[in-house]
Amino acid sequence: MDMQGKLARLKATGLRQDVVLLLLFCVMVLAFSLANPRFFSIRAMANILQDFSPVVLMAIGQTFVIASRGIDLSVGSVLGLAGVSMALVIRAANEAGLDPWLAISLGLAVAVGVGVVAGLINGILITYCRLVPFVATLATMGAAAGMSLVLTGGTQIAGAPKEVILLGNATYLGALTVPVIAVFVIIVVSWAFLSRARFGRWTYAIGSNPFAARGAGIDVERHLIKLYLLSGVLAALAGAFVYFRLGSGSPLSGRGGELNAIAATVIGGVSLLGGTGKLTGVVIGALITTAVLSGLILIGVQPNWQQIVVAALIALAVGIQGLGARGGR
Amino acid sequence: MENASVLYEVRGVGKRYGGVVALDNVDFTLRAGEVVGLVGDNGAGKSTLVKVLSGAHEPDSGEIYLDGQRRVWKSPHDALEAGVETLYQDSGIAPDLTVAANVFLGREIVRKGFLGKLGFLDEKAMRRDAHAELERVGIAVPASDRPVARLSGGQRQAVAIGRAVAWANKVIILDEPTNHLGARQAGEVLEIIRHARTKGFGVIFISHTLPHVLEVTDRIVVLRLGRVVADAPSSSFTPDSLLKAITGLGQS
Ligand SMILES: Nc1ncnc2c1ncn2[C@@H]1O[C@H](COP(=O)(O)OP(=O)(O)OP(=O)(O)O)[C@@H](O)[C@H]1O
Ligand SMILES: [Mg+2]
Repeated sequence: MDMQGKLARLKATGLRQDVVLLLLFCVMVLAFSLANPRFFSIRAMANILQDFSPVVLMAIGQTFVIASRGIDLSVGSVLGLAGVSMALVIRAANEAGLDPWLAISLGLAVAVGVGVVAGLINGILITYCRLVPFVATLATMGAAAGMSLVLTGGTQIAGAPKEVILLGNATYLGALTVPVIAVFVIIVVSWAFLSRARFGRWTYAIGSNPFAARGAGIDVERHLIKLYLLSGVLAALAGAFVYFRLGSGSPLSGRGGELNAIAATVIGGVSLLGGTGKLTGVVIGALITTAVLSGLILIGVQPNWQQIVVAALIALAVGIQGLGARGGR
Repeated sequence: MENASVLYEVRGVGKRYGGVVALDNVDFTLRAGEVVGLVGDNGAGKSTLVKVLSGAHEPDSGEIYLDGQRRVWKSPHDALEAGVETLYQDSGIAPDLTVAANVFLGREIVRKGFLGKLGFLDEKAMRRDAHAELERVGIAVPASDRPVARLSGGQRQAVAIGRAVAWANKVIILDEPTNHLGARQAGEVLEIIRHARTKGFGVIFISHTLPHVLEVTDRIVVLRLGRVVADAPSSSFTPDSLLKAITGLGQS
């Protein structure tokens, strides 16, 4: 077959994957709506978008990291730690009589700071200490989760000014909150940098062949640190958005978040072997993951089953990828 | 050739991997417009010397001089900046990236203006230039927007060679460039090497195909167990004597 034809076919399959995922999502929405008509309402949609936000933020970070042949298991715990740190800071500032918006800004800065520190630790453990990403981020995951418990004594941290709830829940155009809008902006910017800029190109190159990337003069260590930093900061932002929504920080929020993020990523077609993966797929993957989670609750499945279902989704998605890879390259 | 200035040189280079001595007190010189063959059995230390010369590995001991100046490579980036281009044995290319992306890896063309400052890529220019560059160095190019994973082993190798030659401005190091290549394509690689010599580059050519080495090089350096055991003009070797120098058999 000629090159042009092959290329066209390649593009078509790439496109088809997104389309298949989108169709899958629509079928799911339809099925859940039939099972429980409440699923198909503006309110339910607004809820799904709010649930979707932390999942997609963590999944974006995960996509960059996995595309570089790594993994970040710490995102869920970092979400939790950022949330409680922020809740503690805002409560203290509020009690000290600080202007609520100033308190919120301070809290947000602290949350992002938590993400930066966690990401830096991951990055340095992986590059300079040469731990494999699985082990490094597992350690950070444990440390961050433990830190949340130490800081809070295991309790929920409330005491947020009403502006917090307002910021997290006031909707525009029916279903959009400020955090949801911010998430959309982050999606578009991340997509651009992954698919259209040098940052993404180097990410794929490192995941595809780290030796070639280094041989081409790329500072692989530095780039990897940036990737884990990005993942940490996005997870921390997810923590901040969850806090805005609930008005409180819980050391338990974010538990299993890494599972949801990885599910969204692999459902979205990102190979755990690195070097590939598109953010369009991941965004739909995050939608599917969220819809499954919300849908299960709406049709009356016990929340305790969630993790099992998500784990099954991951296995299924990776299994399908394996079948595709055997037929393909 | 003796009077031509020394372009690239290492003195007293040593490198060990744990207990294995990969290089032992190696001296090596390369002049402008000279093609030096580096030969030796499997495990003799050729690729290790390449990695020292290209900045991929820091030697345990010894000194590196480029254009008579003492240099220390902290990473391949430093050596590339200084004009030392390397084709690594079996690790030169990122299979998930396209041909053009590989040719321009680490030196991407970015868009003009603000977007360029953010690192946004000019894919069109890279596709076009990659094609032109590969053609210029005489490589039969596959379409530049194909992922390298979908090329044959020989086509991949061709892209890796093209990349090294296209960017070179002083030294080209080719570690077994004719691997995976058919007879005709291997002949093309030798032609590329000759062409690079006429342009005044220094070329290091590593191969186990001794007739190729004898045919295209000016001088041959033989490594055995990490030591230089011969360093002489190619014309002073016969296929037989070269083989003996490599294996160390039949010498008194
Ligand atoms: N990364 C490494 N870790 C440990 N030992 C290594 C490493 N790379 C090379 N060696 C050892 O160093 C010695 C020299 O290897 P090198 O790759 O330089 O040989 P070579 O001459 O290129 O061989 P070939 O012709 O097979 O490519 C060998 O004994 C090899 O086992
Ligand atoms: Mg070798």
